[in-house]
Amino acid sequence: MDERRDAAVRLFHVSKSYDAGSFALRDVSLEFARGEFVFLTGPSGAGKTTLLKLLFAAEQPSEGQIVVLGRNIARLGESAIPPLRRRIGVVFQDFKLLQSRTVEENVAMALAVVGTPRREARAKVFSILKQLGLQHRRYHHPLSLSGGEQQRVAIARALVNEPEILLADEPTGNLDPDLTVDIMDLIASTAIRGTTVVVATHELGIVGRYGKRTIRLDQGRITEDKKAVGVASGM
Amino acid sequence: MKRIGVRLAYFVRTAWRGLRASPVTSAVAVMTIGISLVLVGAFALLLQNMESLLDKLGGELHVTAYLEDGLTQGQQQEIAHLIGTVEGVESVSLITKEEAFERFRRGVGRGSALLEGLADNPLPASIEIALVASRRSASGMAMVVASLDGLDGIDDLASGQDWVEGYMRAVALLRGLGVGLGAILALATLLIVANTIRLAVFARRDELEILSLVGASHSFMQTPFLLEGILQGALGGGVALLLLFALFRVVLPGFEFGLELVLGGVSPRFFALGESLALVATGAGLGLFGSAAAVTGGWRT
Repeated sequence: MDERRDAAVRLFHVSKSYDAGSFALRDVSLEFARGEFVFLTGPSGAGKTTLLKLLFAAEQPSEGQIVVLGRNIARLGESAIPPLRRRIGVVFQDFKLLQSRTVEENVAMALAVVGTPRREARAKVFSILKQLGLQHRRYHHPLSLSGGEQQRVAIARALVNEPEILLADEPTGNLDPDLTVDIMDLIASTAIRGTTVVVATHELGIVGRYGKRTIRLDQGRITEDKKAVGVASGM
Repeated sequence: MKRIGVRLAYFVRTAWRGLRASPVTSAVAVMTIGISLVLVGAFALLLQNMESLLDKLGGELHVTAYLEDGLTQGQQQEIAHLIGTVEGVESVSLITKEEAFERFRRGVGRGSALLEGLADNPLPASIEIALVASRRSASGMAMVVASLDGLDGIDDLASGQDWVEGYMRAVALLRGLGVGLGAILALATLLIVANTIRLAVFARRDELEILSLVGASHSFMQTPFLLEGILQGALGGGVALLLLFALFRVVLPGFEFGLELVLGGVSPRFFALGESLALVATGAGLGLFGSAAAVTGGWRT
């Protein structure tokens, strides 16, 4: 199969600037295959979060083209953004969970958006929580959970609709080292099931542990694109 | 179809949750709508009853032609026949001087002894003229009176035209006041509902951010707020209906004399089912427009 045609994400000379002359991303071109696991690394302000925001259409590129799951982000109308986002799961460092809702309700939000009947939604939520070892916590509120558990709830919400792409922005930034490994193992396992996974992190220890493709950003530019261990280099 | 049902259920649940999440703000909005609709509803109720009086009077409206003295019975009957042919006249009834006096005597009752001292019968003969249904109004009556004016043998024409016209002017004035008051109150209500919903949107900004991230469309996020506005409005309409009914049943009977003055012999009537539902629907409509003003525009994906 043609690898280029099968790409989940393609960026062509993408730049993003918020102020004139100040670039968060500059002339970035890259491609993520379907099912690929990619780390985005670099210091704070390198452009990792900006790149992720461009991928789920929270931002528009200032220059260049971005094609995500066959849709050109730069030309996407407002009404086309929600359907695209339903195919993308997003996980944040601060979890973004509603404290007033139970774990089950938090995860079910993603299913409500796609019109899943309530009974079916409960079954799906139970299934994903079970996979993440949280089924016994489904009626608890997030504040009664540990940081690791909260992040697993956020991952459950991101995965419950079986997205084609999973984006994670510093998903272990608020977690202890032990929990960090647990959460990263969980995220890595989704790539095995065919989901394209892009993780932005500045924790190089984690990056080294998985031996996956690693793109280093610095001041908005790609400074290194290291292929996964055992994969031939070259774009 | 099933998906629409699922979404509708979600919207209703979310709207209800929104109402319960800010009970004080919601209650203030509901009471504001309720009080506004009580005022507008009271006007509507008064107008409805005044119009009932006009309808009732319409059936009883007639013109009386007083005849000159000295006419023979034959001449009187001839005039009556002539009047009967005028357009808009349904029937005529001749009242002789004697019959008029007898009626008057019966009307005076126990004081009729005073009439014994009268040397002559001072009352004129008259013709009572009933109008066809289409002329039972102030303007219809005026047309018939104009046709009869100047007819030989008729001394004077009397009708309730002036009174009916005055009453109709009062009804029109009240209706205008009601519409003006209603417009001002509707605007105030819209602003209050809009602000309540804006507060609700602000309070739920985290939820909206998450919904947007998981692919909710604008309409998906806005619909529960619109429903919340409709619910507030409908509840306000319900409150108004209950208050009006309580006022109608408890307070109104205490103003019997005033009612008699305004409504004559018409018994006050409360709103029928359709009108009651219209009041609640008006509240719901105000809630919908208020919440629509709050949630349309300015949403970012």
